[in-house]
Amino acid sequence: MKSVLITHADLPLGRRIAKVLWHDPKVLRILALGEGAIPRVFNSYRDGVPPRFVYERIDLARQRSVSELFRSKRMRVLGVDSVVYVPRHGAAPEGAPVVAKIPARTAEARLVLHHAQESRSIRSLIALGSAFVYKLAPSNANQLTERSELDLDPEVAPELRSWIDCDMLFNAEFASARLRVLLLRVPTVVASGGFVYLHPGLEGTAGLRVRPAGFDPLGSVISDKDVARAVRTALHTDMTGVFNVAARELLPLSVLGRWTRRPCIPVPGPLLAIASGAAAQFGGERLRGRLEGPYLRYGMSLDTRRAAEELGFTPRYRVGVARAGDGVMRVEAVAI
Amino acid sequence: MGGNGKPPAAPPVEVALGSNPFVDALSGEVDPLEAWLAALDRLAVKGEDVVPLRPQLVTPSAAAATPAAQPTPIAEPRAPDVELPLPQSALARLVGEEANQKLASLLGRIDGWDRFGLSRSALAQAFPFFYALYKLYFRVQSADHAKIPSTGPIVLAANHGGLLPFDGAMAVLDVLLHTEPPRLPRAIVERWAGTLPFVNVFFARVGQVVGTHENFARLLGEGEAVLVFPEGVEGIRKPITQRYRLQHFHVGFVEHALRARAPIVPMAILGSDDQAPILFDVKPLARLLGLPTAPITPTFPWFGPLGLLPYPVRYRIVYGEPLCFHERFDSEAALDPGLVRALANQVRRAIQTLVDKNRA
Repeated sequence: MKSVLITHADLPLGRRIAKVLWHDPKVLRILALGEGAIPRVFNSYRDGVPPRFVYERIDLARQRSVSELFRSKRMRVLGVDSVVYVPRHGAAPEGAPVVAKIPARTAEARLVLHHAQESRSIRSLIALGSAFVYKLAPSNANQLTERSELDLDPEVAPELRSWIDCDMLFNAEFASARLRVLLLRVPTVVASGGFVYLHPGLEGTAGLRVRPAGFDPLGSVISDKDVARAVRTALHTDMTGVFNVAARELLPLSVLGRWTRRPCIPVPGPLLAIASGAAAQFGGERLRGRLEGPYLRYGMSLDTRRAAEELGFTPRYRVGVARAGDGVMRVEAVAI
Repeated sequence: MGGNGKPPAAPPVEVALGSNPFVDALSGEVDPLEAWLAALDRLAVKGEDVVPLRPQLVTPSAAAATPAAQPTPIAEPRAPDVELPLPQSALARLVGEEANQKLASLLGRIDGWDRFGLSRSALAQAFPFFYALYKLYFRVQSADHAKIPSTGPIVLAANHGGLLPFDGAMAVLDVLLHTEPPRLPRAIVERWAGTLPFVNVFFARVGQVVGTHENFARLLGEGEAVLVFPEGVEGIRKPITQRYRLQHFHVGFVEHALRARAPIVPMAILGSDDQAPILFDVKPLARLLGLPTAPITPTFPWFGPLGLLPYPVRYRIVYGEPLCFHERFDSEAALDPGLVRALANQVRRAIQTLVDKNRA
């Protein structure tokens, strides 16, 4: 039986994972953390004495608040032995840099990892990472295994840089005898209703996006339900290391944008370069990340054989398109 | 970056399409957690910012045709879909029934986009155009198709010529039309093609693959037929005085053939070196522009971009006996650079012999 701490349980992926773990008979207690108010979906989970599900508001990017949480009596009473690190994602505000311009996502990962190592009771940490950390060669068909090179180019956009930094933080702890660290690299996550997460270009509110004209890269996708299943599978194994997880489907950027209410307008490359340069000049780093980046030009397909063979995880949801109640075609995930 | 994973306790269970994925394939029991999840989804819990959907997957084309009707559920997404018989455009009418059946058989095996970017709909749309080139413009004649293995991984190695890679397109079409079941060879293209706007998308959608080691190994691992031009850009920029003389060979294809235990089928393509004979290659200009070649031909640059179009020469494609190096050497031989170079030279001689024999 596991007692699990979940970060960012107020964000869509965290909510989905918390729901899956709530219905997992092998999970004894859940401590869900979030920045916002408790999502209404969790209201019914808090019944019972002692409660099986506890929600706590916390700013994970602040050293003091994280430190107090991990040393609190509540942590000891709940007997948390596993941490599911769900990164900041979706339309969540980026948050001001805390120390020396470190992005909030990186600061959170560092603090959670550090305190998990320091804790006496925590034995495993399951982290969600992004598959956009890989270096993409000029090709529409980059086949990426867990051993593929990461994009360590110093000019990489800050959005990607924070993912890469988080990835490397967890990578450095795989050999730890004290804490089992397992990193799941997930591609673009799609959810029923046309929602999309963890794609550096498409994440955020719906609306128009741009892409370089003449490029339409193919990319792996995965359903949010499969992400939650992968986390649950990872939680109950004793494996460590990196695992790529993805659905069987691959979608071109133009189609993915159309299906998720974020149509991508092709713009000539030189114009994009000028706009990107201007964005960098005037401090619009987030905008710059959306105007350039190898993922807008070169495709990628994740090799998920390791997850299937060693972790025993195979996707159970297929990603397609369905007509919604308002008559619009949107992305949908259905069980195989 | 792989970490130090431990061996699995049990093999993964594949879920077949059409089966109930919530039933444990081994025990036959319904996973209670998955049942709970399904129930949750049905309840559409309040607080979720989810727009209610009819949970049937449909093809965009079918949905566009019947906006008011119930969408037709299908097992997996296919978008955009193509219904056969193909639309009877002027080009499509040129395609005979036999070729159409080959295409239909091939398209039936492709679903949406494959992992290399091949698109079912793009292939269907491009086929009539290239078929017209094959039949009417280049009037391709070919022989010895029986030498192409009908199954398993193979490497088709051919001579390269002509400024634009129409020889690759004709070779792909010839193999497709003369194999049963029809095989679509995946042509390996230069890496710089992946950086070219529009070209990279077109190449990927019709089945061509950028020549990285990972792609090559993966294609052969999946049992595909792979078409390579081991001369690379040296083949397309050779001057008229060198036509049908094979240039220096790259050797990567031999390494991968040995590792994947795949036979190498030599191919001679005659006609490609005559489609745009290069009188002179302005190499300094090519370097300046970052292009593989800056050619002077009888028509280029005098007629502008139109001067790059190939002359309507007749193509002849001949297949040689498969070279089964994997029967003489094990996959470890791929690590021996001297041996790999010698085998590549053997392939080069085989293609040169085929070319010389059929030109005579």
